[in-house]
Amino acid sequence: MTDELKQLNFQAFFDIAADAMLLADNSGKIVQANPVAQRLFGHNKNELEGRSIESLVVPRYRKQYRYYQSLFFNNKVKHSMCVGNELVVQDYNHREILLDASFSTIETKQKLYILITLNVADRRIQAEKALRISEERLRLAKQAAELGIFDYDFKRNIVYWDEQTSILWGKRASKTVSYDEFIDAIHPEDRDSRKSAINRAMDPAGNGEFKAEYRVVNPVSSITRWISARGRIYFENGQPSRLVGVTRDVTDQKNLQKKLQMQRNETESIFKQQVAALTASAIAHELNQPLAAVSAYGEVALHELHNSFPNSDNLKRALEGCVEQAQRAGRSLHELMAFLQKGELVTKRSNLNDIINDALNAVNLDYYTEFYPILNLQQDLPDIQCNCTQVQKILVNLFRNAIEAMHTIKFPTLTITTTMYTTINMRMALATIQDNGPGLNATITDRIFEPFFTTKPTGIGMGLAISRALIEANGGQLWASSNTKVGATFHFTLPFAP
Amino acid sequence: MNSLHKSIVFIIDDDIAVRDSLTMMIEQVGLNVQSFPNAWIFLNTYRPVSFGCIIVDVQMPLMDGLQFQEELLRRKIVLPLIFLTGHGDIPMSVRAMKAGALDFLTKPVIREKLLASINTALLEAEKRTIAIMRNEQITLRLSKLTTREREVMTLAIQGLSNKEIASCLGISHRTVEIYKSHVMHKTGALNLLDLTRIIQRHNLD
Repeated sequence: MTDELKQLNFQAFFDIAADAMLLADNSGKIVQANPVAQRLFGHNKNELEGRSIESLVVPRYRKQYRYYQSLFFNNKVKHSMCVGNELVVQDYNHREILLDASFSTIETKQKLYILITLNVADRRIQAEKALRISEERLRLAKQAAELGIFDYDFKRNIVYWDEQTSILWGKRASKTVSYDEFIDAIHPEDRDSRKSAINRAMDPAGNGEFKAEYRVVNPVSSITRWISARGRIYFENGQPSRLVGVTRDVTDQKNLQKKLQMQRNETESIFKQQVAALTASAIAHELNQPLAAVSAYGEVALHELHNSFPNSDNLKRALEGCVEQAQRAGRSLHELMAFLQKGELVTKRSNLNDIINDALNAVNLDYYTEFYPILNLQQDLPDIQCNCTQVQKILVNLFRNAIEAMHTIKFPTLTITTTMYTTINMRMALATIQDNGPGLNATITDRIFEPFFTTKPTGIGMGLAISRALIEANGGQLWASSNTKVGATFHFTLPFAP
Repeated sequence: MNSLHKSIVFIIDDDIAVRDSLTMMIEQVGLNVQSFPNAWIFLNTYRPVSFGCIIVDVQMPLMDGLQFQEELLRRKIVLPLIFLTGHGDIPMSVRAMKAGALDFLTKPVIREKLLASINTALLEAEKRTIAIMRNEQITLRLSKLTTREREVMTLAIQGLSNKEIASCLGISHRTVEIYKSHVMHKTGALNLLDLTRIIQRHNLD
């Protein structure tokens, strides 16, 4: 085999070489140019052979080349021209080409030849440039993202880090740090959670991702910074070997979060206070009227007893009033508590039309002939299952709202309709209460059931919110339709008795 | 106190039990009471009475106490107002008192306080009625003045001398004197100063 190779002559080797090659004599004249060199310069064999190498060099570099050539002839060892000292030649088109050139001597008995191997330097330079740009980009990106890099080598128990990370740890100069020192700077309270994050990442069943947030206390300045670290475990032969990742200073973000949370808590507590104040005001309003009556009846009775001949009728009426109003206060309180606590609801079989008539009577007592009711009650409406007191209260509330809305209308009319409400999968009783007041616009309709929403100057805005909650507790729905032509319309449904 | 027995205490409160108990309390001292569930019904049925006062709840549907107070002023109903309120709302009470309310009481109201307040209100009502009556009397007297007499009176109370009035109106000095004596006679004024006072008070009212 080697013998066969010995047969290969120089010419064959020269012609098939992958690199451009020129063979020159000791005066620098080209003796031979291989095909790759011919292609590189764009000249054919005849054009190149017999020409001086210098004539291929770009004129302004010829002086430099001559100097280099003389150096080579004085000291004939293999030499290359590259990295910063490239050979700059021109092709047939006078296009400049940057070449890495390698000079070697071939000595025969008669003559000294120079073999010049040429490599286009551009590709190398471009690769170098690309690497530099990529490194620069990474540096800029790290800087912009304020990312630091760490590389924890489990075997050697040290951490390699970049400047950004080392600054966070207060050790500007070092390129590595012992793992113990690395841990020392981490806030004692955060070490356990960090450790367990590493353990999770080391689990071969997991995805190897490491994610932790911890505080780092600068040993010099004692300033505490919050660090967010993300990384990945690298395995070697199935064993975790390194943890490589990035660190980021998230102190400002943390502080902002803390501040936001504080503000949120404050807002919430103010809202709670307001709700408490409004609830207290609702309770006070419910209780104060009967209390005022009890007090007045009581004083009437007391004063009556001071008379030499107390009027027993007055005494009886006053005391009855006391009892009744005290009972009323208790009932109000229980209803309010039931609403607030959502206690168990006691329902019974009842007739919706009867409840409506009772509610109308209750309102009539207060308002005399302030409005004209029109009743369209379906007479054969089946019994419903509900808490009568609550439904009556809801009706009274709806009637009162309607009457108040109609106080500027000449013939305030309240149309009350009951009917069967049927959908695909259920049947319910439906009551509709419609007034001929100014009606509700869409904005008000959207908000009217919100707690503490009111359009009345002295209202506290709990009436409809409580009514809706009560109807829902009774298994029905309460809603309003927005229409400005025919006044406001409220509807509610209630389930039929089983 | 004699006039008090002819007077009426009006109660306006949306709560039937409050109306009933307060009615009993006030009737116990021999006063007449009329009660109403809201301010509109009161306004629609009210006929002017000689003496009286109104007890009104501040928090009421349809028209609250302060709106009611404005409506009374607009309708020139001069009955003194006593406000009742569920909770002592200080800014509201200040507004009410500034607008001429007689008192601002918190529910549950103490009998003694309420009765004292009613007493003051009725005395105030009497004063107001007397003032109105006097005013009406003056209006009646002034209406008897002729145009010329009225002109002379206007200039006289501005402090013009008879001579000045005469030249102003283009009449003789003597005629001015005659008109002036007619004015004094018809208005019942004792002298020029008294006349000025009567006219001023009349204009104020």
